[in-house]
Amino acid sequence: MSALVNLLLGGVFHGAVLFLVAGGLQLVFGVQKILNLACGSFYALGAYFGITLVTASLAVGVPGVLLLPELLLAGLIMAAIGPPNERLLRTTYDRDESFQLLLTFALLLMFQDVFRFVWGANPRSLDTGYLVYGKLSAGDLSVPVYNLLVIASALAAAIGIGAFLRRSNYGRLLRATAENRTMAEALGVNVRSVYSVVFTLGTLLGTIGGALVIPTAAASLEMSVDVVIEAFAVVVIGGLGSMAGALVGSLLVGLISAASLVFYPEFEIPAIYLIVIAVLLLRPSGLLGKPAP
Amino acid sequence: MTSAPSALVKLSIASAFCALALVPLLAPPFYANLLITFFAYSIALLGLNLLFGYAGLLSFGHAMFLGVGAYGAAVVAGLWGVKPFEAAICAAAAAALVLAVPVGMLCVRFTGIFFGMLTLAFGMLAHAFLFKFYHLTGGDSGMRVPRMSILGMEFAAYNKVEFLAGPFYYYCLALLAVASLLMWRIVHSPFGLSLRSLRDNPQKAEYLGVRVRRFRLAAFCISAIYGAVGGSILALRSGLADPELVYWTHSGHLVFMTVLGGFSSFFGPIIGALAMTLLLDQLQSITQYWRFVLGAVLVAIVIFFPRGLAGIADDAMRAARTTDGGT
Amino acid sequence: MTLLEARGVSKHYGAFRALDDVSLTIGDGEFLAIVGQNGAGKTTLVNLLTGLLAPTRGAVYFKGRNIAGIGPVVLAGRGMARAFQLVQIFPQLTVGETIAVAVVARQGKQWRLFSSLSRDSGVAARVQEIAGRFGLHDRLQAPSRSLSQGEKKLLDVASAFALEPEVILLDEPTSGVSSSEKHGVMKTLIAAAESARVKAVILVEHDMDLVAAYARRVVALSEGRVLADLPPGPFFSDPLIIATVVGKRGVS
Repeated sequence: MSALVNLLLGGVFHGAVLFLVAGGLQLVFGVQKILNLACGSFYALGAYFGITLVTASLAVGVPGVLLLPELLLAGLIMAAIGPPNERLLRTTYDRDESFQLLLTFALLLMFQDVFRFVWGANPRSLDTGYLVYGKLSAGDLSVPVYNLLVIASALAAAIGIGAFLRRSNYGRLLRATAENRTMAEALGVNVRSVYSVVFTLGTLLGTIGGALVIPTAAASLEMSVDVVIEAFAVVVIGGLGSMAGALVGSLLVGLISAASLVFYPEFEIPAIYLIVIAVLLLRPSGLLGKPAP
Repeated sequence: MTSAPSALVKLSIASAFCALALVPLLAPPFYANLLITFFAYSIALLGLNLLFGYAGLLSFGHAMFLGVGAYGAAVVAGLWGVKPFEAAICAAAAAALVLAVPVGMLCVRFTGIFFGMLTLAFGMLAHAFLFKFYHLTGGDSGMRVPRMSILGMEFAAYNKVEFLAGPFYYYCLALLAVASLLMWRIVHSPFGLSLRSLRDNPQKAEYLGVRVRRFRLAAFCISAIYGAVGGSILALRSGLADPELVYWTHSGHLVFMTVLGGFSSFFGPIIGALAMTLLLDQLQSITQYWRFVLGAVLVAIVIFFPRGLAGIADDAMRAARTTDGGT
Repeated sequence: MTLLEARGVSKHYGAFRALDDVSLTIGDGEFLAIVGQNGAGKTTLVNLLTGLLAPTRGAVYFKGRNIAGIGPVVLAGRGMARAFQLVQIFPQLTVGETIAVAVVARQGKQWRLFSSLSRDSGVAARVQEIAGRFGLHDRLQAPSRSLSQGEKKLLDVASAFALEPEVILLDEPTSGVSSSEKHGVMKTLIAAAESARVKAVILVEHDMDLVAAYARRVVALSEGRVLADLPPGPFFSDPLIIATVVGKRGVS
């Protein structure tokens, strides 16, 4: 029983981090109709910089209990990479979508070497770190409080974004632009600035996701490329452009990932991708997405 | 569109062919060996571009067919001990077709980004499959591909390097010539025209009697076969069928090469394969950060030269013609 | 000889009746215009007549066979072609190539992978012939995108004619064409239809001047039903019909 709960919690944790990355991907796709493959790079950036920041702060004597805020800060700082990337992407907005995809692929490639240059080819990790918050124990069950905090943060992010998109004026503006860019422009919306904001927000979600994961996993050169595959699966399963879909999708993928880790590791990717294919064939708009035009 | 290239293009092709034929005789074996990669990718990309440039479908899973070719060669030569490379190519083509028909039937129901996503998904499934059946496929380490005979000749007296830089080089050059000729005819045939019509206006094409899905499926299958042949060549050259051949980033590289060369031109993919092969070789010897440079090149292509190198060459030729006062 | 027949067709979308018990017989040698206000059911009728939709009640027969829902490709194969109101071109193809797509389909050469298209005299001759009938014979190498709006319309219709259909259905063939070009376009269409030995031409038209001048039979729809089915003379002399269908006379 406790093994099952551990598995579930592991899956939810994985899903929480994945939600942040996929949410960023989803937001950008929903509003700008761009599938940003470089979201994986933002994830990795947050991870690497998170390690650097925490290691540095521990060295200067900052108390270890500030781990979570520091990681959030790392993510926040790295989100600054958003606007310049968006400016680059802006050159392809009027072009065929294959060019946009290729441009983000190029960015993915370039970032890989940036990581190699700054942080080296070997995986990096935090030595201790997340146990600073202790563990929550109940019988056989034991879960690091850190994991619970991350899950809570992802949930908070989901609720926050949801509320923002639905209730706030700017959120409504975003949804209008997502529905119909030309009409939004005609109504006086500064689409350029909207795109810039959305892209940066998407970047922020990615960098924070990456930063939050590193106490439990190492940062490596492959992580940017590997996470794209999972985030992409989440986005398809949940439904292109739907944030609620990203939540459902990441939970599903997270649980599958956790389950296969325990039972049958090679089964993870095939399981996820069989579902992706099934969704694309049976319900291309995804579980919660709007029907494709 | 005429069925014969212009005189200038014909001349360029002829000179390129001659230059390529001279490489093993004039340059160190390293270059001939390197260019075999170019031959392999050219063939694979000719197929990809039928799908992308002519039928308008961007596949992000083309690498899986290269994998079929590579592992096919490994199975035929390594497991079954069949010597002729021709057998490997035929087996690879057949296997590619067997895979392409069902996968294609599912994928061609969509276009644009959904097509891309489906092909990516199938590609990842194929990649996972190679790892799962590791006792058959060797998992991470791949499968060995022993030397094979070409046109019945084993060239046992040659060591591997001599074989690759000599007989096999010319064999692949000939394969590329044949593959290009076939593709040229396909593209300029009534089939090719029907294919091109459904790229930009599938609705109108249907009203003119074109069964859009069937044609897309045919293009998908042909591209698969070309991809598999390319994969077999790669595997024989390196002696290894490697699962990394099938990873999604490799599909991305294939698209990269096609766009680098220019996807709206027949020769674009070949130019792209050559440019990438040479560029990569030079870059990797200069810096370990070649991915960065490659990425930057792709950025430049996308933003400034969307028609690729072929487009640049085309513009240059046009400029040359107008300064001559001709049409 | 009856070519196309709608027998008591109705099309319901839930409670909404787009078409209600419409019967229509079109035979050899007819030149028919379907008219009516927007929302009268013209598009639905045309979609049923071309096998794009299946009727809720009744049936549509083309050359004796039920064509419910057969779709454009089968339709073309059976001998009916359709051109749309909004000009449809293949942006990347030339004029000659556009027409050739249909010729290739008609001549059963679509699946020839290795034969040279440009050296196929059978195709080339047909393309020349059809282009000539539409005044496009000197524009064969021109990219379709470079044509004027009127020429694009002609190309669109020409490619439909290239299927050698027995029945051709034209959706507002002169819409988007300047008033000065309209009559020219219509005359070209009629001449082309005659020399191509098309057996029946069906037009959907809003321009009553053109209908009065060229149609030999006018079918008016109103609120999903056939209001009138008359030759143009009696049609345009009936004040009730004019009031209901035409409203204000002239181009709408």
